[in-house]
Amino acid sequence: MLAACLAFASGLWGCATERVALLPAEAPGGSAGAVAVLDPATGTERGQLTEANTETRLGGAQVRPRPSTTNYDALLSAMPPPAQVFTLYFVEGTTDLTPDSAPTLEALRRAVAAAPTSDIQITGYTDTTGDPASNDKLSIDRAVQIRAALVQDGLPVGDARVTGRGQRDLRVPTGPGVSEPLNRRVEVIVR
Amino acid sequence: MRATLIAGLLMAASLSTAAAAGEIGRIKSVVGAASVVRGKVVTRATPGLLLQVSDVLKTGPDGRIGVTFIDNSRFAVGPNSQVALTQFDFDDTTHAGRSLTTINRGSLAIVSGQIAKENRDAMRVRTPTSVLAARGTRFVVQVSP
Repeated sequence: MLAACLAFASGLWGCATERVALLPAEAPGGSAGAVAVLDPATGTERGQLTEANTETRLGGAQVRPRPSTTNYDALLSAMPPPAQVFTLYFVEGTTDLTPDSAPTLEALRRAVAAAPTSDIQITGYTDTTGDPASNDKLSIDRAVQIRAALVQDGLPVGDARVTGRGQRDLRVPTGPGVSEPLNRRVEVIVR
Repeated sequence: MRATLIAGLLMAASLSTAAAAGEIGRIKSVVGAASVVRGKVVTRATPGLLLQVSDVLKTGPDGRIGVTFIDNSRFAVGPNSQVALTQFDFDDTTHAGRSLTTINRGSLAIVSGQIAKENRDAMRVRTPTSVLAARGTRFVVQVSP
């Protein structure tokens, strides 16, 4: 039976098949990475696909990569687009946006308005001036400020997740007490 | 007035964060017949529907579902499919996490996210015969009857 299945092209009716195909990275020039096939009982690696546009049947003891000829366009038409990330910058020690960030806020407004079912995550950060505890508060105040700006526009951000990370996760690594404009920011993920 | 508004929003924000704590992802797009099974309750799949661990995505012969997850991974579920969100743990501060998706039949395209990026072999897909581990990739799994 297995031999009969293997003798024909995959997809033949009456032949239970499982397979996995590795696709090229979405971003042009990106690495395809890999997919490993493991034994479900032991976790032992049976092999892996490491090249884009290859596939293998599953269920056998070994992984035998071969060129993939299947067209997955119909399936991939249902794939949501990648998350969009917007980074807004603030005046030192405040929740006031820098003038340069105004266009980014506009772009954020448009993105949220265009996709009302989006999952929105708003995360505030600070630089290392001031003490860590007050930076925790300042970072969440910045995130809340951005949420408030979207709410004022009547945009659907009711279930947005809002967090502040203070001076953790500096975009530009610095020592303590350093005023760094790129670290005073709110990152908004729209997915 | 402004201070009150901010305070109110801050409260709403923390409340909504708590309310959405069980959310692991959400449905972004639906074509044809598609549903979400949660325990014994079957709900028609609609864009915006929040997903939780153990939810099962099901599609009919003309059905397709697009899903985004909180670690930025994404799914496209094809027709005649049954896909269970068996496990999903993700800490969006440390990016530590682990997920297991079970496909019993049909087709599933996956773009991996932070879980796979930051934890080796932590994003897994189980088929009737095998377990797959995503190592930072876009791939398709098919289980045909």
